[in-house]
Amino acid sequence: MAALAERRPLGDNAKAWALNAPAIIVVTLLIAYPIAYSFWVSLQRHNLKRPRATKFVGLDNYGALLSDQAFLSALKVSALFVLLVLGLTVVLALILALVLNERFRGRGLLLSLALLPWAMPGVVNGLMWRTIFDAKTGALNGLLTQLGLIDGYQAWLTSGTGAFLFTALAQVWNTLPFAVIILLAGLSTIPAELYDAATVDRAGGLRRFVHVTLPWLLHPLLIVLILETMNAFRAFDTIYVLTGGGPGDATTTIALLDVQTVLTFTDFGLGSAYAWVITAITLLISVGYIGLLYRKGNFEV
Amino acid sequence: MELNRRQILKYAGLGLAMPAVSPLLAACSGGGAGSGDGSVKFEGWDYEAALVQQNLDNFTKTTNIKVDYTPITSAQYVQKVVAEFTGGGGPDALYVYDDSLAAWVDGDYLQPLDGLPGVDEVYAAIYPGNAAAMTYQGKRYGLPYYTDSNCLLYNSEILDKAGIKKPPASLEELEAQAVKIKEAGLLEYPIGVPAQLSDTWWAWVWALIFGSGGNMFDEQQAPIMNTTDTVVKDVFSWLQQAATKSKVIDPACLQLLAVPVDNAMKANRYAYTIGARYASRDYNDAAKSKAAGKIRLALVPSLDGKEHGTVSNTRLYALAKDTEVKDDAFKLLTYLGGLDANKQPYTAKFWFLQRGLGFAYKSMASDPEVTASLEKFADPKVYAHLGEVATPRNVLGVPWYTEFEIEMHKVVQGVLSNQVQPAAAVAGLAQTVETLKKKYN
Repeated sequence: MAALAERRPLGDNAKAWALNAPAIIVVTLLIAYPIAYSFWVSLQRHNLKRPRATKFVGLDNYGALLSDQAFLSALKVSALFVLLVLGLTVVLALILALVLNERFRGRGLLLSLALLPWAMPGVVNGLMWRTIFDAKTGALNGLLTQLGLIDGYQAWLTSGTGAFLFTALAQVWNTLPFAVIILLAGLSTIPAELYDAATVDRAGGLRRFVHVTLPWLLHPLLIVLILETMNAFRAFDTIYVLTGGGPGDATTTIALLDVQTVLTFTDFGLGSAYAWVITAITLLISVGYIGLLYRKGNFEV
Repeated sequence: MELNRRQILKYAGLGLAMPAVSPLLAACSGGGAGSGDGSVKFEGWDYEAALVQQNLDNFTKTTNIKVDYTPITSAQYVQKVVAEFTGGGGPDALYVYDDSLAAWVDGDYLQPLDGLPGVDEVYAAIYPGNAAAMTYQGKRYGLPYYTDSNCLLYNSEILDKAGIKKPPASLEELEAQAVKIKEAGLLEYPIGVPAQLSDTWWAWVWALIFGSGGNMFDEQQAPIMNTTDTVVKDVFSWLQQAATKSKVIDPACLQLLAVPVDNAMKANRYAYTIGARYASRDYNDAAKSKAAGKIRLALVPSLDGKEHGTVSNTRLYALAKDTEVKDDAFKLLTYLGGLDANKQPYTAKFWFLQRGLGFAYKSMASDPEVTASLEKFADPKVYAHLGEVATPRNVLGVPWYTEFEIEMHKVVQGVLSNQVQPAAAVAGLAQTVETLKKKYN
């Protein structure tokens, strides 16, 4: 008892550190250290095929990217992929969220169905779409043939444009539900009085959407834009399973090139540099979104 | 010392945590190769793991040497083994692709077998192409697991129906036969090859080039596909013509990996493919294939109709550089890839009889048991001849080979889909080699 009585109570700061210490240690070991280490590796020539040739090269790996045709091509494919996936996701998610925000019979079932693709892992998603797009037995070919829209079965993924578009569609299908959830949550926070007031002011559906709904959705939209941009930029599994990056370089995104560089070519130095470029680009885009949208979403309706 | 409640709880927590933490710490500590308990740690890709284990059990029974066998999924085999060796916990003995040999030797993962008992004898007993594939910078690094050479596989029934009496000797003839099959309404696309991008080599492209007497590289690994050797460009031209003009190569090939092509052959959906000899065993297996009994082997057709050769690959058993159980591991290697007390390649024969895997040992071609088994799915003469004329790729020893192979896949896809012209394709490949050489210098 005497020992307990003599013990001085911990201050608030010490308590805060003590309580957070386990989380800090875990985050440091499992997140901060690997991230820092990957940056360190990106500053080296580090290929497992030539361990004796490992050396510190500073920013050479980053400098080499400017003339790396594979990287520049993958960057271009990634940019187009992000634009297409993001555009389709935002538009479709908005439409779906507006529909699901209404009250109608079967809404619950439709909501459950709409969320289903989100539960599907990327690899499974890729396998499913590969089966659908199959040139010999694919459901898409069967459907279009039965509808009389095509004469014979087509190999959809064998042209560069076809492979790119169908891969983007498969990606959108997988990530759309998440965007719907966020936007649906945003829609549910809009006070009904605002719509009532707008109706009294004789605002039509489009004006109500532009002047009431959209301003209230700017913050959820910001979250959707940031997260879906990151998702699309890092898209790997669906593309890998569907096309492997082909035909040619048509669907070789920067994430695919990165995995190939690290795991197939065992070039950890260059692969880490690719990873950091992906991170930097995603960060820049996110900051851009915040600059553009955050201040506008001040609900001045 | 008096323990209070807090201290009791603390020590109890530590006591509970230690068993969980200890293996983690042990795993993190890395260390040398091997299992650490005196047994031989052996790793391979997961082909027929149960049969491998059965064979290893037999080894343990006869030698009393314990083997700790781990099959690894083949799609991740190279990456996982590299990760293990890098982390300091690699196996003692392992399978190695000839494609990976140079990189793994340069990575200090493997040790040469020169001077070890029986190695000279093995190398004298195998085909020169296999010996070359297991030798790097003058040193021998492996004993043969299996080998195979590529050939034309054709469906004799479909050819019969089209009135074709013998398989094609030239590429022109192959195209003409395929057009005949197409015009007879038997198949829309008679030729199928696996042309979806993947991490594995496209043997059929190399087979077509070697089959016409060409090569992409000279003996110094300098690119010749755009200079002294016109075969590559001509083969690419034929591919483009067959895919986009006569349309006898299935356009869906660009989204087909090897297994779907195998399935299509077994379902009589293709009349021709270019693949490994051992595929004919699977294709002719009545339990798995509708084409059973109809699939035959032939030499790879060439540009000029003459016989030139084909490409082979070799899979080998190798010894880790840092193994602490070298003697036992080498005994295992000898059992798996070498000659037994009767000077017979016991395991090579085991694999051929069990699964039809190609053998590197010349003597097996005339072994009555082997030929009797072979006759069930292939013509032994054609089979043996393919083994004799096959040569390995001469570029496996360069560190940039994998990058080149992957780039070549993309270029060939461009050729097949008419997006890249053959001249530009070979120029692009030569440029790729120069870029890769600079990168690795």
